[in-house]
Amino acid sequence: MNVAGIDIGSITAKAAFLTDGKILGTRVTFTGYNPEQAGKKVFEDLLAELSMDAASIDRVVSTGYGRNSVKFADKAITEIICHGVGAHYLSPHVRSIIDVGGQDSKVIVVGTDGKVKDFVMNDKCAAGTGRFLEVMARALKVDLDNFGAISLKADKSLKISSICTVFAESEVISLISKGESREDIIAGIHESVASRVSTLANRVGVSDPIMMTGGVAKNIGVVKALEKKLGMSIEVSEFAQVNGAIGAAVMAMRL
Amino acid sequence: MREEISETTTTLFNRYVKKWKDGGGKVVGYTCTYVPEEIIYAAGMLPFRLRGIEATSTSIGDTYYGPVICSFPKCVLQLAGEGKYKFLDGAVICNGCDSMRRLDECWRKASEDYEGILPSWFYYYGVPHKVADYSLKWFVEETKRLIDSLEAHFGVKITDDDLKKAISVYNKGRTLLKRLDGLRIMDEVPISGADALAVIIAGTAIPRDEYNKLLEELLEELEESKERITGKKRLLLGGSVNDDVSLVELIEETDAIVVADTLCFGSRSYVDLIEEDGDPLVAICKRYLTHSFCPRMFGYYKERFRFLKERAEKAKVDGVILQNIRFCDLHGSENGIFERDLEAAGIPCMRMEREYGPLVETGRIKMRIDAFLERIS
Repeated sequence: MNVAGIDIGSITAKAAFLTDGKILGTRVTFTGYNPEQAGKKVFEDLLAELSMDAASIDRVVSTGYGRNSVKFADKAITEIICHGVGAHYLSPHVRSIIDVGGQDSKVIVVGTDGKVKDFVMNDKCAAGTGRFLEVMARALKVDLDNFGAISLKADKSLKISSICTVFAESEVISLISKGESREDIIAGIHESVASRVSTLANRVGVSDPIMMTGGVAKNIGVVKALEKKLGMSIEVSEFAQVNGAIGAAVMAMRL
Repeated sequence: MREEISETTTTLFNRYVKKWKDGGGKVVGYTCTYVPEEIIYAAGMLPFRLRGIEATSTSIGDTYYGPVICSFPKCVLQLAGEGKYKFLDGAVICNGCDSMRRLDECWRKASEDYEGILPSWFYYYGVPHKVADYSLKWFVEETKRLIDSLEAHFGVKITDDDLKKAISVYNKGRTLLKRLDGLRIMDEVPISGADALAVIIAGTAIPRDEYNKLLEELLEELEESKERITGKKRLLLGGSVNDDVSLVELIEETDAIVVADTLCFGSRSYVDLIEEDGDPLVAICKRYLTHSFCPRMFGYYKERFRFLKERAEKAKVDGVILQNIRFCDLHGSENGIFERDLEAAGIPCMRMEREYGPLVETGRIKMRIDAFLERIS
């Protein structure tokens, strides 16, 4: 049986296909302004990449903030559940999932069966999310993909005290004009994200083993800063960014 | 839902208030369930609970209030500043919580800049935070002062008989609302949570005699109605002030129904009756001081938890949603402890922070509600 999971996030749309429980392929594209089209596009692109046609996909589950705009999906399920299921699929021993995406950060605690036991989400603002990092990358004129690697070369981590993204950006700009090194500033930015996320993690009572998912998991600097804050090690799968889509596909299998 | 009832949930100056004013009646606003409506009723006036509906921004509210304050009183002040509360002949502000208490100062200050927005009788009423024989004595004196001021300003006289009649009318309304509770906790529910909240809120904005009649008719209709809601996840909604029916609608959009609440705009306003024997003023004060507790009252966590748990069990709920408006320290902290204790008692619970006012972040709220429903299914 072939199943598909489509995860429409605030910044990117992801697709994952599974066949008889094995990952066939995954794909990421930008959501843009039209989540419905983004869902269709990422689905069709992955079909083309794998030389498949839509008829060969038996079931589709959509997730993410744009889950209800995926018209061809058989069911829409929230990303909380899908991230729990996806992480359990990739690594069954995982008990907590830290998912940091474009506008949300979530911490999900799952049982041995991968079922969600509890979850928390940022509800104050979007500080400590992917969008926060994007803004900082723009201020520093650094490609976001290089953020992680650059921060590992830092001598120290500079303190960013503002929680508000806009104020934090101006803090970063003053650090730049003070002549502070890019490496140290980026390390400070990562620590600030880690401190927002660890507050959530402590609220829900995070426990080992932890897996980090979502686009921000690709940033090794944030992962390291979080490990330090929580005093626990964090697994990151190569499928971290598409974990929600994989979870949706697993849910499609179970429909 | 009947149009005249749903109108009161979205329109401040509803048809009943308009009719009351057209007939020469006076309207007195009040801020919280700790202000005895019976006193205002006994003076022959319409008690009207102040709300922030219709506010589309908080530009005026933000001018007089600080940034880290609950958005509910900000919305009330916004409407006052916009002149939408000019139909009030008086207002009673009380120290329900610190944010609401500051409405007294902020409204007065705003009236220096926005002419004519302060009702001619604007009274601050202090309510003790502890239940004790001495605080009850103090509260009785404070309530006497409230009565004296009301009588002096409007040239009316409130007799014991007036108070007794008010008690009996309001008790009747409360008993009817408890009958509504009974319908809501049935396995097959004749009314959605959104409609039920609308009915309860209408009681704060319609003259009580008329409301009681309306409610009685409605209850009869519901009791006979064949339309029943079944097969949905049953939820209890608790936490800080909510008079926003659309929040309940949002919860009920997906396979869920709110069958009970512990809101001050909901059950907390009617579960406790007033003793009809003895001194009416003391009876009123006793009930208002000890009625189903708001976390504004120091201590009493166990009583509040028992109330919440009992209501959840009676209504056979599948889960509890505890919401609070951002910066609400009272409910915000208590919701955290409630969550811990409810989960330990095997009742799934979700808490969330939100802003008061037009629901703008529905996407994120909805996602969490859906995830919670998926979790408990």
